[in-house]
Amino acid sequence: MTTSTAGRFVGQSVKRREDPRLLTGHGRYVDDVVLPGMLHCTFVRSDVARGRIIRVDTEAAAALDGVTAVLTAADLNPHAGNMQPTLLLTTPGAPLRPLADGDVRFVGEPIVLIVASSRYVAEDAADLVEVEIDSDPAVIDVEHALDDGVPIVHPELGTNLGAEMVFPISPELEAVLAGDNVVRRIFRQHRHTPVPMETRGVVVEYEPSVGELHAWMSTQNPHEAKQAMSRVTGVPAHLVRVEGHDVGGGFGQKFFTPREEMTVALAARRLGRTLKWIEDRRENLIASNHARADVAECTFALDGDGRLLGTYIDHIEDAGAFPVGATGGAGALVGLLFTGPYKCALASLRTRSVWTNTCGRGAYRGPWMFETVAREQMVDAAARAMGMDPLDWRRRNVIPTAELPYTLPTGLPLDMVSPSETLEQAAEIIGYDAFRSEQRRLFAEEGRLVGIGLGLYVEPSTGMMDPMGTETAVVRVNPNGQVTVALGTGAHGQGIETTMAQVVAEELGIDYEDVTIVQGDSAVTAYGRGTGGSGTAVIAGNSCRNACAVVRAKAIEIAAHLMEAAPDDLEIADAQIAVRGTPTRSVAWTEVARIAHLETARLPEGMEVGLEATATFKAPPFSWSNACHACTVEIDRATGVVSILRYVVSEDCGVMINPMIVEGQVAGGVVQGIGGTLYEHFVYDDDGNPLTTTFMDYLLPTTTEVPTIEYGHVETPSPTPGGHKGMGEGGAIGSPPAIFNAVADALALVGATIDRTPLTPDTILGAITTDA
Amino acid sequence: MKPAPFEYHAPETIHEVCGLLAEHGDEAKVLAGGQSLVPMLALRLTRFEHLVDVNRVAALSGFGRENGTLVVRACTRQRVMERDAAIAAAVPLLAQATPLIGHFQIRNRGTVGGSLAHADPASEYPAVAVALGAELELASPGGAVRRLTADDFFVGTWTTAAEPDELLVAARFPVWPARSGFAIEEVARRHGDFALAGVACAITDGRAGIALFGVGSTPVRARDAEEAWLAGAGAAEVAESAVRDLDPPADVHATASTRTRIARHLVERAVTRAQEGQRVAG
Repeated sequence: MTTSTAGRFVGQSVKRREDPRLLTGHGRYVDDVVLPGMLHCTFVRSDVARGRIIRVDTEAAAALDGVTAVLTAADLNPHAGNMQPTLLLTTPGAPLRPLADGDVRFVGEPIVLIVASSRYVAEDAADLVEVEIDSDPAVIDVEHALDDGVPIVHPELGTNLGAEMVFPISPELEAVLAGDNVVRRIFRQHRHTPVPMETRGVVVEYEPSVGELHAWMSTQNPHEAKQAMSRVTGVPAHLVRVEGHDVGGGFGQKFFTPREEMTVALAARRLGRTLKWIEDRRENLIASNHARADVAECTFALDGDGRLLGTYIDHIEDAGAFPVGATGGAGALVGLLFTGPYKCALASLRTRSVWTNTCGRGAYRGPWMFETVAREQMVDAAARAMGMDPLDWRRRNVIPTAELPYTLPTGLPLDMVSPSETLEQAAEIIGYDAFRSEQRRLFAEEGRLVGIGLGLYVEPSTGMMDPMGTETAVVRVNPNGQVTVALGTGAHGQGIETTMAQVVAEELGIDYEDVTIVQGDSAVTAYGRGTGGSGTAVIAGNSCRNACAVVRAKAIEIAAHLMEAAPDDLEIADAQIAVRGTPTRSVAWTEVARIAHLETARLPEGMEVGLEATATFKAPPFSWSNACHACTVEIDRATGVVSILRYVVSEDCGVMINPMIVEGQVAGGVVQGIGGTLYEHFVYDDDGNPLTTTFMDYLLPTTTEVPTIEYGHVETPSPTPGGHKGMGEGGAIGSPPAIFNAVADALALVGATIDRTPLTPDTILGAITTDA
Repeated sequence: MKPAPFEYHAPETIHEVCGLLAEHGDEAKVLAGGQSLVPMLALRLTRFEHLVDVNRVAALSGFGRENGTLVVRACTRQRVMERDAAIAAAVPLLAQATPLIGHFQIRNRGTVGGSLAHADPASEYPAVAVALGAELELASPGGAVRRLTADDFFVGTWTTAAEPDELLVAARFPVWPARSGFAIEEVARRHGDFALAGVACAITDGRAGIALFGVGSTPVRARDAEEAWLAGAGAAEVAESAVRDLDPPADVHATASTRTRIARHLVERAVTRAQEGQRVAG
């Protein structure tokens, strides 16, 4: 195992090279793409959750000055190929279609696509389209969607059950579940949505005489987008090119190619025109895939000392009408990971994915994170039920490092993690014991409600599922010695241009400034997994390492030939290839690069010209990372307002490439957890009408709601070459239960309980009224 | 999120503004800071054939003292209320209320008259105007000017007693005696959001003003509570009286009962603070 810990570049908080352009307004987003003759699109969307389309009258819209086309299902759907965003990670089910045909299945479903000279004109035309829909009762309440007599979201399927996984309950588990100390709770996590700062969007150019389709898209995954656009339009994949330059956030929402992008591509192909569609914020809120929306009944069986004997989780995820990509089926991971970092011999589960007439579910930073939410909230409930402090409960049940590797009761192998160390570090930083004393004093003397909460988890950034586990890097040394690295990634805030350049500079022994990362363009990079699933450091990082190893070996071979030295005696440092121990005997990296390209007669006999390599990395099935979140809150008893006092994260992502970026990623996830727990709530009424369609009602956390986040680091290298682990999603996984537990801890002072989020004044005041 | 087509007018005198309003009637809307109107247009929640931009009307900008009254001309930016020491000295409640409006970017652009004329029931200035007994000055096409009390001006959600061809030209805030106390309190989901509930209050010898916001279709003046306060009732009793007949709206942010509970608490807190302010001032 080789690691680059404490290298010249790896491990350093190098400032992000992306930031100067992003922070000065010089980023290039999809809406910055302006092409000659480009036309603008908008969608007419359903304002009914479920119903039959009686009439669509487009005549007045088509007659409006500046309108090029008004397309309905009849115009586009018969020409559409497979609409699956990916063929690799999809669940069978929802019959996908470009435009609603015959019926509508959620508010926001596209019915008509308008193409016009400007977005203004397109929206004027949209106002002129008359859509008549006979509305039917909609399926909104996921907990009753499987009841008898409930309408069926997708009549073709005959059921609202999209997917189900059931583990049998063993006799041993059954026995402990019938024991003396059984805690059972139902927890509900409300629907919220990723809300990238840059909404989705696409520009598609189709030139019939050439037969090429060229798209610019706000995407995390240009290669899968290319495949999807080829399938839907029928343009062969080698004639499709997808580019994504700067992407203003994705959080999973842009990982697979959604319906609207495919529909616009199909329309561009049909019309032979260049089309732009930029999603507006209202569309993003109502019709870009939603997330969370889970409910589970959880059971813990404990011995008399609070040790976990067995668990059962019965989980339902709301898949919406048209889930995207791997979700609407990712619920399985909720059950598989439910026992997390705790010792437990017995577990079983049932997890169901259920259709409703709502916006489809999609990936959102830790798509299965409800396993941590449900478990960590259960831990506090169980500890309270057993009269134990939640920290003590965790200390008693956490898997000790000495007992690793540990096989989870669901069969997953857990190793190279440090849940116990991060638990202790977080408790130490936040001053757990001192806070407990202060909490008692404030309540006794002033009646104030403060609380402390923990969220402990292990996160499997997985290489199990193709194509998520592999990446290909092309490392190309230019004749002047500078290096261009092509990756199939689609960065949307991760700082990949910085971190991957750190890795390559380290591996080649050259200067960081001499390495450039190219990504986000299917034409100039090899097929890759895109950016998501906390995979870049491990998977792209190690593909870079593998390619660098080849390049490095060749450079050394050339230098050995030039110096008449043995390759084994040479090393590369500071862009010089020198005989180890005799730095005066050296040849410059730039000289080797020049000779490799421009003085090829000096190369060793038979050596191929040039200096570049393509290499892949296939990740192991799991690269576990872990963290412990700890936070303290105060509740205003009179108003129900929750304030976060302190927030601490102790994390272990193995070897950090760039600690500043690691902390930035953690912070981003925590802020989303704060938003998701206290503010963000996508609300439907009983008929499926969305009630939170602007930022006036869908509330994001801002600087005034977010505390300073404090960090602790534990480093347990993963067994992959760089020793890194996935960490991009974790901040959003550990934070919701930590905040929930802190609020629950404060409410327990007055005997009040909570079982659902968001923790709004309504929820808090309701709890105090009901219980106290 | 692009507005429907409209014709844009940029008059420079009050007379021209009133003329345009008279000419286009219901099809015209005054554009001041645009912090509420422009998003509503972009979302196509509302549309007007004519927008009459009053930002170039010099006579609508600035403020001054007229005897015992602070006259704030309608197009004066909210940030002036927040920052100018003369405002804080004359009408402390205006200075206290302003930081609660949105965020500083909004206050840089938003105007005093725009907020009053928009008459959002959850906004701060209408409640301040009601609590202090302000008057609103309206100009009409013939050059006539009339004044309405704040109590009479606010009619319903986003609705005032101004006629379609009238322009709000100024708000006249009485300068309360030196020995007065003021407080404004609100709870919003996040800093800068419209309040779930709020209250503006003022007290001096022989006079009290209490106006709640976010809990009705207009600012809600709590007359019984004012009387109880003047009669020497404690803050809790004043608060109880202020919310006794409240019928607040429910929405995704809070139920009616949450709003009422919060409002009662805020009245108690504000009354206590205002009394303390009066004591210190005296």
